[in-house]
Amino acid sequence: METVTAPGASKVSVKITQEWIVFALAVVIFALFSLILRGFATVDNMLALVRNVSILGILSVGMALSILGRGIDLSIVATMAVSVAWMILMLGEGVAPPTAFALALAFVVLVGAANGFLVAYVEIPAVFTTLAMGGLVYGLGRFAMISVDIVNLPPGQDWLRGFGSGTLAGIPAPVIVFAVVCVVAYLFLSYAKAGRFVYALGDNPAAARISGVPVRPLIVLQYVIAALIAFCAGLVMTANVDSMNTRIVNSTLVYDVILVVVLGGIGLGGGKGGIRNVVVGTLLIGILLNGMTIMNIPFLMQNIIKGIILLAAIVADTLLNPRDEQTSQQGDI
Amino acid sequence: MTALLELKSVTKAYRGVPAVSDISVEVHAGEVLAILGENGAGKSTLTKIMAGVVEPTKGEVLLEGKPVRMANPEAALDLGIAMVFQETSLVPSMTVGQNLFLGDEKTFNRLRGVSIASQQFLQSLNFNVDPTALVSTLGVAKKQMVEIARAVRKNVRLIIFDEPTASLTPEEKQHFFALVGRLKARGIAIVFISHALEEALMLADRIMIMRDGLHVVTGPSRDFDRDSIIRSMVGRTMTDTLYGQKAGQRRRGAKILSVENLSLGKIVRNTSFSIYAGQITGMFGLIGSGRTETAKIIAGVLKRNFFHGGTIRLEGRPVRYRVPRPAVNDGIVYVTEDRKVEGFFEQLSITDNLRIGHLASKWSSRLIVKPSEIVPLAEHWRKALQIRAINGDTHVVELSGGNQQKVVIAKSLLQKPKLVIFDEPTRGVDVGAIAEIHALIKQLAEDGLAVIVISSYLPEVLNLSDRILVFRQGRVVEEFSPQGADEETIMYASVH
Repeated sequence: METVTAPGASKVSVKITQEWIVFALAVVIFALFSLILRGFATVDNMLALVRNVSILGILSVGMALSILGRGIDLSIVATMAVSVAWMILMLGEGVAPPTAFALALAFVVLVGAANGFLVAYVEIPAVFTTLAMGGLVYGLGRFAMISVDIVNLPPGQDWLRGFGSGTLAGIPAPVIVFAVVCVVAYLFLSYAKAGRFVYALGDNPAAARISGVPVRPLIVLQYVIAALIAFCAGLVMTANVDSMNTRIVNSTLVYDVILVVVLGGIGLGGGKGGIRNVVVGTLLIGILLNGMTIMNIPFLMQNIIKGIILLAAIVADTLLNPRDEQTSQQGDI
Repeated sequence: MTALLELKSVTKAYRGVPAVSDISVEVHAGEVLAILGENGAGKSTLTKIMAGVVEPTKGEVLLEGKPVRMANPEAALDLGIAMVFQETSLVPSMTVGQNLFLGDEKTFNRLRGVSIASQQFLQSLNFNVDPTALVSTLGVAKKQMVEIARAVRKNVRLIIFDEPTASLTPEEKQHFFALVGRLKARGIAIVFISHALEEALMLADRIMIMRDGLHVVTGPSRDFDRDSIIRSMVGRTMTDTLYGQKAGQRRRGAKILSVENLSLGKIVRNTSFSIYAGQITGMFGLIGSGRTETAKIIAGVLKRNFFHGGTIRLEGRPVRYRVPRPAVNDGIVYVTEDRKVEGFFEQLSITDNLRIGHLASKWSSRLIVKPSEIVPLAEHWRKALQIRAINGDTHVVELSGGNQQKVVIAKSLLQKPKLVIFDEPTRGVDVGAIAEIHALIKQLAEDGLAVIVISSYLPEVLNLSDRILVFRQGRVVEEFSPQGADEETIMYASVH
């Protein structure tokens, strides 16, 4: 919430927000894992952790933008996988990198614009639009564009590999990309006119419309940005593992992303939260997923744990921000 | 005689801030008690204590002399106390009969049996509602009747209403008054909150007035009149009663807007009129007369018919808006009648609400904005409209109705409009803020803007307007000057 309001004198008192609770929890779990888990607090594992966390975090920023504007984008994972797989397939067939990159980028913008058009102009609920779009993109990609499940990154292409293995002042490239995405998204939400409008749209679409906010173009923009961020995450993912496995579309990744966003404290109703919420949510979930993998917790058990955490986060959100009729009418007591 | 319900020095505090403090009140069987006060006076909290929605922090609740504890509305209902909220709790997709018997059905439940039993029950109450009709097809007044019937069926002895007549048409109000009389005759006690003082004077046996969470005075309604009530509510003597005088004719300026043969489905039918700068045009009509829809078409919120939709000329230039944005850019703003649904952004601060208005107007051309640049502008408007809040960071949802309305008005005015449309500008606004909003509207017209005021409250229309357009069945049927009209002639034009 703090990112919404201008800094003022009354905000000095530290409120116990979900964001702080989650951050504290992340620190506690990190300390706990470091003590009890062998192989957690090692350099190698830390590198793996920040890499994975970065991809999750980048995707979460895209998801957070769409949720802030009272939407949701369930197609980001499909967009990410298909666009990047198609791009490296083209690279392998000898297409010049700028051309391949531009084509993939155009594809991504098209998918985002299609999402936005269906939500804004045809007025289909975002959940259904993007769910269907995810299936469509994956199906179309595997049917017409990519003939194999896993596309390997061809040799050469160091510009792309740099996104994964490169470092800057000792910081791994994925972390830098995540940081850049966060900063750009934060600047967009705070300083761009369209970013301010996203909060208005998420808070009250009808009021935004009457106030003269260009609601429909804004919704299209929101899904295009989400798709672009997904593309960005795809680049980092490919550079990390030298390939793109399109089967990731069928994994639980998109639910992990929602988990991060909700856990971080971005209200599913829209208009509430900021980039800081995404960062703390990413930290907690990233540490947890990494720890569970080291502990060799079976996949199904991991799902149970994640499900419980998601439910607990929603319950905590409801308790911290009660939204029932009685308390929302504070004006008339 | 022991009172049916008695509150003994109850206090309710939210986060340490008392909403009501040390209030004692009695309600007797078969009497009507009106609770009056400005918004934020604590009326709602007090009635919620009576109905078990909230529990008092301190104090006692006595039912027929015995202390009771009502943890939730269900517990209160078991004791015979029901509260009828403005938003009804009926199931829209079920019939009236099913709603009456909801939660109370026999194991083998026949719709026909329910309908017959409901029919008999509704007739015994003399309620004219069809038990087989779906609740979603009913008007507000009928829904309220069903809600009341459901309460009566559960043998309640006290019914509490929160603003029962706010969304009723004049005819429906008459039905409601008759209904209160019948409930009273059955020995049921009634407590209601109202902003309509005449209603309270007419309907209530006793009137209780609150201010700032404190009890001011309670007495038989014959001891009060309009002025004394307002004095007690606001705690100051108003120099002129709010709606006392009629508007002095302001000089008519240039023709800003001309509307010819405007049509939208069956709601707006082929209506024509003009709007002039420098004066206030009042629009009066009953609910369903098409006045709000006409205004919304002008402001681009609704679209008129594509074929034979008529023409709208803004300063001579034909315009057709598909969305409000171009209308806002052309200087037409619409201040909504329903500020919670389409007026303000409740999770944003006052400053941020105003910022959205500024950014959405053509006066903010740059794509990049500094968060700080709005602050002086927001402060200016907050002072100009006397929005009472701790500072600009206060969230709008925490404000009283009057201050929320001022935020919505300021958000529109800082878009520097030529034509401002106020739809029910003082609905759900406390008495003090009404006077301030009226003064503001008059000032706008004197500054040369074209102003349209839509209102269901005749004294308000008469007080503000330089000319009055009366709507009936989707078109302007008559135009009055406030000097040449009184409430009766206008009402006559709007219903015949």
